[in-house]
Amino acid sequence: MNSQHIVSSFDQDLEGLQARLMKMGGQVETALGNAIKALETRDLELSQQVRQGDKAIDAMDEEIRAETARVLALRSPAAGDLRTVLSVMTISTHLERCGDYAKNIAKRTTVLVEASPINGTVPALRRMVRMVEAMLADALDAYIQRDAEKADDVRTRDLEVDQMYNTLFRSLLTHMMEDPRNITACMHLHFIAKNIERMGDHATSIAEQTIYLVTGEMPDEDRPKGDTTAYNAPDGEAI
Amino acid sequence: MYDVTRPEAELDPSEIKFAARKVQVFYGADQAIKDVDIDIQDKTVTSFIGPSGCGKSTFLRCLNRMNDTIDICRIEGEIKLDGQDIYARSVDPVQLRAKVGMVFQKPNPFPKSIYDNVAYGPKIHGMARKKADLDEVVETALRDAGLWGEVKDRLDTPGTGLSGGQQQRLCIARAVATRPEVLLMDEPCSALDPIATAQIEELIDKLRAQYSVVIVTHSMQQAGRISQKTAFFHLGNLVEYGDTDTIFTNPQDPRTESYITGRIG
Repeated sequence: MNSQHIVSSFDQDLEGLQARLMKMGGQVETALGNAIKALETRDLELSQQVRQGDKAIDAMDEEIRAETARVLALRSPAAGDLRTVLSVMTISTHLERCGDYAKNIAKRTTVLVEASPINGTVPALRRMVRMVEAMLADALDAYIQRDAEKADDVRTRDLEVDQMYNTLFRSLLTHMMEDPRNITACMHLHFIAKNIERMGDHATSIAEQTIYLVTGEMPDEDRPKGDTTAYNAPDGEAI
Repeated sequence: MYDVTRPEAELDPSEIKFAARKVQVFYGADQAIKDVDIDIQDKTVTSFIGPSGCGKSTFLRCLNRMNDTIDICRIEGEIKLDGQDIYARSVDPVQLRAKVGMVFQKPNPFPKSIYDNVAYGPKIHGMARKKADLDEVVETALRDAGLWGEVKDRLDTPGTGLSGGQQQRLCIARAVATRPEVLLMDEPCSALDPIATAQIEELIDKLRAQYSVVIVTHSMQQAGRISQKTAFFHLGNLVEYGDTDTIFTNPQDPRTESYITGRIG
């Protein structure tokens, strides 16, 4: 919908909502970037900053929620406008969860700085983050550009993140079996990997909201999924 | 890759009350309705929406031949009620209007008592022989219209003395008194306050069990609240027709979207 509403303040309401959502998306991307950087550089101060920053992300979610309620009550949006308001509300919830995961990574970093590094793990996490960061950015770009094709591309990329997570999961199992002193660090690193993997899922959900916004229909559930760790026994064999 | 087209709302033939095909309406040289095809479902509320001058009221008035009274009006195409062409020579418009009742924008009670307002139709259609029968018809109609409790003790007072909302319900009672099969309503709430509107809307929802209701409304929210099917008219064309929830969440035609979201078309 390119044309404007006859009541221009309605356009301002919808634009305002989406602008807030994009600002929130930016803050989440920064939080994720800083969380992984703090882990890599063992920077406690930066990790503390990420933990503090999550409060602002939560507050934005609250604001967006209140604003969507106001728009629903006062404007009675229909059709594409209704889908815009609903998708803003849903995406805000996904971003808020992503913010929580970034905060959780930062929390675990405070323990990990005390432990000796597990070979190759942090670079692998960094690669995962790079994937997920790009997915988040592209999902939000697709949203604001109303680009269902681009959103669909984000959905397909989640498989790769799942596969990276599987590989890391197996490698962490191996490290723990090799030396029980690694267990504490490996457990935390595993949760971090899982957090990043979950953020990929949220980016995928944001992309699906974009498809809903553009087409009016949610995409089919049959996208490829790659997290198979739920079926893995400690010896690496599938149960 | 995401196919947003969907088949037209298809109805079971037994559920179709009105079937209109290639309907065209002209006022002199001006064409008000262009090639409208629509099946209107029985025991259902159908809303006609669209900007002023789009032809929705004109089309509504075709359904009980109200346009016959306008000399320069000419109608082409076919409109069938229960499979019978309502414009056939053998059809008496007065009988048709007993079957297809109408309620207008402004309440227009006759300058008679409440009782006589409701009894008028049944009387001229010979529906009651005895006073007791007529009393029963009047009471049933007033009950159906949700007005009985408010007027039962003053049936002999003038209908024009009621409040606007009550007058409109009186007009609905008058319309249902002849036991019609279809009720046509042309913006029945536009002159009413929100409470009277809510009462009429509740009534329309109840009437759906017995009648087919076709309503012209300028209120998108009202169409959403009361109707199961919605038809959007624009410049004499039927642009889109389908389930109300689909029309208001995911209309297929950009003109429908522009209209219901309040955009410059």
